[in-house]
Amino acid sequence: MKEIVAIIRPNKMTRTKEVLAALGFPALTACKVLGRGKQKGLAGEVSFPLGPELVQEEGGMRYVPKRLVSLVVEDEDVPLVVGAITKVNRTGAIGDGRVFVCPVEEAVRIRTQEQGTAAIM
Amino acid sequence: MKMIRAIVRPEKAEDVVDALAAAGYVALTKMDVVGRGKQKGIQVGSIYYDELPKVLLMLVTEDENVAEIVEIINRAAYTGNFGDGKIFVSPVEEAYTIRTGSRGL
Repeated sequence: MKEIVAIIRPNKMTRTKEVLAALGFPALTACKVLGRGKQKGLAGEVSFPLGPELVQEEGGMRYVPKRLVSLVVEDEDVPLVVGAITKVNRTGAIGDGRVFVCPVEEAVRIRTQEQGTAAIM
Repeated sequence: MKMIRAIVRPEKAEDVVDALAAAGYVALTKMDVVGRGKQKGIQVGSIYYDELPKVLLMLVTEDENVAEIVEIINRAAYTGNFGDGKIFVSPVEEAYTIRTGSRGL
């Protein structure tokens, strides 16, 4: 099993959920986060107008609001899910986000005590 | 690659972020969390706090930078009291940049 942790634009969240659900991965955890990348937070990444003092400052914003999406899938589904997330969220502009794939050793469904694959199906 | 998750005091979070940026690690994700440690919360007078607000900083880096980053966070987040937080390092197998679709950090 692998955990896929994706940091994406908040306005792509609905579409990402739709596509993942259509592919058969309806279960996910999402969280509102703040973050920045190599560019140290760019002004102009958010849709609302910023004050001139923010735009002038080096790097612009300290943090940019993002959405963190996390889901656990079987090893063989990793390329499919990563591909889907990448495709939906790509705009080509800086700030599209990142996808991380981390190993997961065990999963347990609390309601039924199922373990491993059964727990995430 | 490794994912470093640091749970730090909210008032120290900006110090940690600035210290990391000064060392060249600018990319990170921050979220507000609540939690408790071994001390099971805190008792202040007659009031018992079960969940304490903390800030979780998450960054992914190459293996060789882990020791340096942990050291920076340790130094910047330190007060010497209970509740300074914890740092967790976990493996990451792959990373993709969505904008380019390329693999790696």
